[in-house]
Amino acid sequence: MSNETLVDVDTLRTQVRDKYRDVATDPHGAHHFHTGRPLATRLGYDQAVVDGLPDRAVESFAGVGNPFSLRRLELGERVIDVGSGAGFDSFIAATQVGPAGRVIGIDMTPEMLAKSRATAEELQFGHVEFREGFAETVPVEDGWADVVISNGVINLCADKQAVFAEIFRVLRAGGVLQFADIANGRPVPIEAMRDVDLWTG
Amino acid sequence: MLEDSGFEDITVGPPVDTFGGAIGEAKARSYEVFGYAFIAHRI
Repeated sequence: MSNETLVDVDTLRTQVRDKYRDVATDPHGAHHFHTGRPLATRLGYDQAVVDGLPDRAVESFAGVGNPFSLRRLELGERVIDVGSGAGFDSFIAATQVGPAGRVIGIDMTPEMLAKSRATAEELQFGHVEFREGFAETVPVEDGWADVVISNGVINLCADKQAVFAEIFRVLRAGGVLQFADIANGRPVPIEAMRDVDLWTG
Repeated sequence: MLEDSGFEDITVGPPVDTFGGAIGEAKARSYEVFGYAFIAHRI
């Protein structure tokens, strides 16, 4: 399979970072997708767990599905959250793996990282940390993770095969990739797929 | 693509109407875009 991309990787990254900076700083603004607690309810997250999280962790949530709907994480598992945003799924993961587990969230948007780190400190979740990085170059050693989660991120990456190759690298043999993302039932015209503005709008 | 990247035993969950009622709903409807959960195991 070719790794040729339809749009420029750096241009797309800049647009995605700008979009999610807005979601971090203005989570209740006019975005083309739902956000926050109403979205978490819509996607079927455990209401009691969501209710226990501070607004900072939830208001900028912009996932497209529930990566925990097909499998609950096990106590003690080591988890990487690719595109962790303000940390919503990372904190859900942290409650499932417990203090014997570890969660590392990876995100490229400084405003999102600031929110997730502040929440981790507020919750005194010592088993959760957030690192700056890209989905194609995750700053974690080979084979570290039992599980990789992600939510609505891979569709925003120009080279998806590079992302899956990187996830393969950081997972141990037999490890689990459980993620949520969008898929279209009707084909998108090639000219639209080459229009970087349509990737984030 | 997942299989090409070294994953097997792939499961896809039911569709979720992620964009229903959102500003982007019309565009999502035009291409039948829904959210899905996926699970795959590394070989």
